[in-house]
Parts: sequence; structure tokens; C-alpha cells
Amino acid sequence: MNFKKQIFGFMDMLRFTKLVPNRRQALASGADTPLPRHYRVNEMAKALHPGRMEVEVTAVRALTDRMTELTFRRTDADAFPFFRAGQYVSLQGSVEGSVVSRPYSISSSPREALENKLTLGIEDAGFFSDYLNRQAKVGDRFLMTEPAGEFHYETLRDKKQIVCVAGGSGITPFLSMAKSRKEGDESYEMLLFYGARDEAHLAYKAELDALAAEGALKVVYVLSDETREGYEHGFVSAELMAKYADLQNVTFFLCGPAAMYAFIQKELAPLNLPVKAVRKDATCCGARNVENPRTFTLTVHIRDKVYTVPAREDETLLVSMERGGIQAPNKCRAGGCGYCHSKWLGGDYLVAEGRDGRRAADRKFGFIHPCVTYPQADMEIDVPPAE
Amino acid sequence: MEKQSAKRYDVVVIGAGNGGLTAAIRVLQGGYSCLLLEKHNLPGGFATSFKRGRFEFEASLHELNDFGSPTEPGDIRTLFRDLGVEDKIDWVRIPEAYHLITTDKKYDCEMPFGVEAFIDKMEQYVPGSRKSMTEFFQLCNEVRDAQTYSNSVNGNTDSDYMKSHFPNFIKAGSYSVNEVLDALKMPKAAQDILNAYWCYLGVDCDRLSFLHYGSMVIRYITRDAWMPKMRSHEISLALDTRIRELGGDIWYHSEAASILTDENRAITGVQLTDGTVIETRHVIANCAPHLVFGKMLDKKAVTEAQVRATNARTFAGRGFTLFLGLNKSAEELGIKSHNYFIYDTADTARQYDLMRKVSTNHVQATVCLNNAYPECSPAGTCMMYFTTMFMSDDWGNVSETDYFKAKDRVAEDMITVFERETGCKIRDAIEEIAVASPTTYARYCGHPEGVIYGYETADWDSLMPRMMMMKEDAALCPGLRFAGGYAMRSSGYSSAYVSGDLSGRQTVGDLKKEAQ
Repeated sequence: MNFKKQIFGFMDMLRFTKLVPNRRQALASGADTPLPRHYRVNEMAKALHPGRMEVEVTAVRALTDRMTELTFRRTDADAFPFFRAGQYVSLQGSVEGSVVSRPYSISSSPREALENKLTLGIEDAGFFSDYLNRQAKVGDRFLMTEPAGEFHYETLRDKKQIVCVAGGSGITPFLSMAKSRKEGDESYEMLLFYGARDEAHLAYKAELDALAAEGALKVVYVLSDETREGYEHGFVSAELMAKYADLQNVTFFLCGPAAMYAFIQKELAPLNLPVKAVRKDATCCGARNVENPRTFTLTVHIRDKVYTVPAREDETLLVSMERGGIQAPNKCRAGGCGYCHSKWLGGDYLVAEGRDGRRAADRKFGFIHPCVTYPQADMEIDVPPAE
Repeated sequence: MEKQSAKRYDVVVIGAGNGGLTAAIRVLQGGYSCLLLEKHNLPGGFATSFKRGRFEFEASLHELNDFGSPTEPGDIRTLFRDLGVEDKIDWVRIPEAYHLITTDKKYDCEMPFGVEAFIDKMEQYVPGSRKSMTEFFQLCNEVRDAQTYSNSVNGNTDSDYMKSHFPNFIKAGSYSVNEVLDALKMPKAAQDILNAYWCYLGVDCDRLSFLHYGSMVIRYITRDAWMPKMRSHEISLALDTRIRELGGDIWYHSEAASILTDENRAITGVQLTDGTVIETRHVIANCAPHLVFGKMLDKKAVTEAQVRATNARTFAGRGFTLFLGLNKSAEELGIKSHNYFIYDTADTARQYDLMRKVSTNHVQATVCLNNAYPECSPAGTCMMYFTTMFMSDDWGNVSETDYFKAKDRVAEDMITVFERETGCKIRDAIEEIAVASPTTYARYCGHPEGVIYGYETADWDSLMPRMMMMKEDAALCPGLRFAGGYAMRSSGYSSAYVSGDLSGRQTVGDLKKEAQ
């Protein structure tokens, strides 16, 4: 072929030779004004995702005999990020020489976050939670991860009506969701079933009643050990829920202990609902039941440093590192968020059942999530620094 | 507790994106020590995956260009072979080139791989297009041969050799796609259908260099496209593994804050956001020159020429992607193609203009991965991702409190357009959904304004003069080279790998010269 654009092909050739001089000239003619140091979209990313935040307790309030509400403000900024109601943060502190952290659902609303206020309802559930429940006081300082998690309403995925089922401290994300609905940031119709032993163990009842009176949600209290007028008695069964909603035409949001999930799942089974109809909040991965657990040596590389700590086979690698004073990244502690993603270098291990949230290639190339991994031998891993 | 002391490195690579990963391997293969720094806790940058419920979503890769089969490898498979990662990855071939739909002219065209098949199909859609299409591919072949020659002499081409062997390459070389297609007297409808790939380069065909487009199209059509089975995360981890095998170090969660220099503006090290200093005299930056010259280097170390050259350039598209996990199979939903381009208009310049604003942009490049790799999600489900770009900073107008709703609005529009144009009803099947906005891209990869395509390869800043000025551009800042979407080869997976290959090998050359 003989390509020609202009009548004389050599004119086309000449144009080609100008490509470099043209570009050279254009680069030299750029403005000499200083290059930007800030970009709007990146500033927004930083506001929404600040990473680890420094926080201080501004109020402590007893909710029940097993639950305390802590209110926080940021000391490193004027506001918490706007978030999606239902999300959690992970709180981190030092207790008796160990670095400890736990995820907690946020009970305050996304709008309150912008006023530098964020509250967590903390139930007695382990080492750190017990400490927070009994000893945290106004002025105490902690680190907190940015709000995260997929346990929230999705406008394009979920049904207009949502049926929320709360057990124990599982009420906290739903309080945030009801507030967010009231504030106009969410569009669902919310029906909440809140199960507890008796009325005294219902946290946030006054707040929920006030929100219900304002039309933000409809709430049904279900007491298992107490019969009271105005309350349902027993458990949150399918039969009970069906009295209040067409269960084929709702999206379920469940937050509570594992036993509650198992119960509801069994109750809903006969309805043959699609997978997408039931959303469950993740629960923290705890210790494994092992008789006479062995203790192994865990070698941890963080950048160019090497640490060795004992690691019990009934505890996750993350817990072993924390006990040894090593700050390792973590958020959900449930195997799902991937924030603790680390390179496996050697040694047998077990992943907690049903919690292997790794990507396919992670398994292929030897990466693990220490928050749900138990050692079965001496192990060696490469962990990113906490921040 | 034991402690080791910090060591110095021959090269520090900033950013473990496709370019940075490749560059690190090349440095190590050259026999030099290398530290790869990454602010995120994963390698790959955009080349990653994430899980939601039963689905593992591909974060960004639509199809890997210029890959080819094991027996007829394209340039990228050959590169992966040289890097030592080809066999670490399970590959799957993409079945067809693309499915183009435009709202204005009602195009609905399914184009195959293979030059003859492509020309035959075009003749069916546009009778009388065969001659110009055949010439188009002849011209593209010459473009490819010229580039192969240029690469073989490291860009130091002999002008007389070029003129005698690749005259058409040179004669077409300064023109836009549309100028060349007009000169070939290609029927307008055939041009419209052929131009479908333009959004992969993010520049309309009035301003996109023919050489750039032609070299991409020929590589797609003759060598077809491939995907790793475990999403692009499989490539990124294979590269990570290879770096470790070669004795390199990778530090995740380790963001480089500044590049340190001495009084002669020579690079002396890299400082992390936590204050850690790593000594080195060579940096390969897998990030934007805007960040390096605007923030990471001390003001005193930045020359006027660097500032002018950086300011002269134009940011390319800001990314937006919707990910859907659907609880029905692609077959049940009627989704037949792997890869759809859906445009408002076949007029690429007009389309580009519509993409400046969030509210007027309805373009989507949409992939249903199951149609290339059925097992990518559980039986009875399928996965889709819909990508678009904004050709301005309009997304920056979104407020914090409107952020989640703004994402939903664009996502809903993408679903509406897909359903309207293909007739496939997907809305009720959504089991998992995730949305990445320019804010998300800015968050994970730090790119200014959430840009995913580096600098626009339009007009004077097109691919050819960039390649021809590679040496000259690098001379602006000794000791520093760029890799990734902002580098000389521009954006896209294949280009980013190639830029890392070039900058990695050139840095090895710099080190060898120093040693002499």
C-alpha cells in the first residue's frame, strides 16, 4: 500500500518530523505557577477515609448492667468522617502491656459524626470490652480506625422495607440506621425486632421509642424471660415477624450473637428466600476450643525488623502478636475486610471455619488473614506495620 | 525481641502498581538491590480484586491486550515469560473482541478476534468496507513492525531505515485516527464501529493519534486478549512472589512522603510518612509527576523546566466503576457478550464532551466475566462490572453528605442504560453491589482527582513523541524514572507493564554507567 494524506507524501513525512519539536515546545510552554498541593477529590477521600484516628472519651453512660455507651471526639481533627449507618469502627488501646483492639458498630448517626461525635455501645464480651465497660473514663485516649463495613442498606440492592433483628449489643447499628433514616440520608422503611431476656436488658429503649414516635422506624420488643404488656413474648420467630411484614418482600438485617443467626436462619429456611434477602453483621473471631493447647513460636517480620513471640494454637495469630506487644494491622477481626493481609512464610496453620475471607490468589500464593488464623506449628509471617 | 538494622538500596520503587512491580523485577534481574514501597496493604494498585459475599470481583482489568497464546505469544506474554511469572498464572482466553452499542445510531455489533473474521464481519455490517478495512490492517501491521524495530534499537531509530522500510508509518504518523480513516476512504459506519475501542485510550478519535490506536487495535485483533483466572490479583501476587524470589524487599502500608535530595539536587533517599528514611540514589516512581514534582521533592530541588513540563500536561479520565454480583446466570439474564461498549453517540468527540459532566455521561465499558470464564462465580450467578470516566474534575463538586447518594445515582444510570440498550433485566438479581468513584481511586492509589488513565495522550502529547523523547524527558531529573499510567507508554495494563520494563531496565543501565 501507499498511504497518503496530502497530495505530496513528503508533506506527510515532514509533519512526522515535527512531532518531537512540537512536544518539546509545548512542555517548555507550560505554566511556571506552582504545582497544586491539594486536589478536591483527594481531600474528600482523606475526609471520608482518614485511616487511623486519635480519639478521646467525652462521656460514659451505663445502658444496662452489661452495656456501657462511650462517646468520643477526635483530637486530631474537627469531625469524624461521614459514614453509612450500620458501619463499624475498630477501637484500639493498651491494656496491661498488651495492644488490644475490637470492632464495634457505631450507634450514633452519620450527621453526628460531622459534629465530631461518635458513640459506641459496648457489651461485656471479652478482655478489652470488659475493660472498656468498667474502667474507661472521660479523657481516656484511644486510636480508632475509620468507619468501614458492608453491613448497611444498599438502595439499588435491597427492598424498600427492611426487617432488622437485634440481639444484645446488636442493637447499636440499628440505632444509627434509625437516626440516619430520620435525618433523611436513608430511604428505607424500617421494622426492628429487638430481642432481650427482659426489659432491663433493652439498651437504648428510650431513644428507640422516641425515634419510633417520630416515624423513623417501627420497633417490636421481644422478651424471652418476661411477660409484659406492649411487648412480644418468646423469640423472634418467623411466625412472629410475619405478623408485622410480608417476609417475601423485605430485606433482613441481622445483628447479634451467632446463636441468634442460627435460630433466625432456621426460622427463615422454609421461606426459601434468596441469599440476597438476608444480611448478617460479622462477628469477631474468638479463641478456638482446644484441650491442653500447645504453644508455638511465631516469627514476625515487619519491614526490616524481626520479632518472635509465643503463639498458642487456640488463639489467632493476631491475638498472639498483640499479647507480645506487636502492633499488627486489623479492623474487622472476622476474616473479611482483608486489612490484616499478610505473607505466610512457613508453618502449618488452620483458618477458623467459615471465616476464610481470602481471595483465591491469596490462597494460591500463600497469604493469610492473621485475625482468623490459628498456628499448628512454629510459624513465620511477614506483616505490614500497623500504620 | 531481635532487631535488624535498616539497609540502603540501589533502587527504591515507589508504588507497587503494575509499573512498579515490573520495574522492581527488572532491577533485581539486573543484579541490583531493590525496595518496593506501597502505601496500601496489597500489590497491584488498580490490579487487584475484592470479595463481597459469594463473589470475588475484578477491580479493573477488562482484558489483557497483546498477550497471545503460549505458541504465538504477544509482547506482554513474552514480557511475563522474561519476568518469570507467565507460568505462575492460570490464563483464560477472551472469546470475542467487543460488542458495540450506540444509542444514537442504534449500532448493535458483535466483533470477533482475527483480522479476516473482523473484516468479514465488518463487510456484513457495512457493505463496501472491505477495501479500506484491509488497508487499515496493512497500515497497522506496518505500525507494529516499525514499533518492533524501534524497540529493538531502544528508540534510537535510524531515520533513513525508517523512511525506506516504514514509509506509511511515517506518513500516517502525525495524523489522528479520523484523519487516517478518512484518507483510507473508509465508510463512516465502518469508522464508527472500528473506533469502539477509543474509550480504552480515553481520547476521542479527532485527537487520538492513529499510531497509538492502530497499534492497540492490531494487537487486540491479531493476538486476542486474555485474563488471569483469579482476577488481576493473581498477576499482582505472582509479581510480588517473583520479587521475593529474587531477593527483593516489599514494604506494604509504607507510604513514601518525600524524595530526599542533596544540595546538587541529586537523590539521596526516600522518607516514609512515619519518618523512616531509606537511603538510595535511584527512584522509580509508579505515581504521577504531579505528585513527585508538586509534593514529594523539596521545592528547592524542583527546576522551572520540571514545573513547566508538568503543568503543560492534561489529566486523563477519572474513573468510576460499578460492580454487581447477580443471583442468576448470564444465560438466564440473556447477557451474551463478555465485553460491551455502550455509547450515547458514535461521534467520539461529541461523546468525549458529554463525558466532562457526571450528569451527561452515560458511557459504559461493561464486562460480564462469566462469558469468558464461567467458573468465576458460583453456579447460577454471574458477575458484572461497568466502567466509565469523567473527562473533568466535575466529581470534585460532590459534597461529603451527598457522596453515597451521588455514587448511587451514577450506578443506577449505568443499570438503566444497560437494561435499555441490551434488553437484559438485571436489577432484581443484584445480590452484591460495590461502587468505586474517583474518590475511591484517589484513596487507594493516590492519583490526583481520581484519574485512572494518567496524562491524556492527545494532540502534541501523543504516544509517538513521548516514546521518541523518552531519554530527553528522563534527563530532566537524573536518578528518577517513572513507571505506570503516567509514564511514557501511557495508561492501561499492558502499557503500565511495558513502562515498568523500560524504566527498570533503563535504571539498571544508569547504575551500570555509574559503576564504570
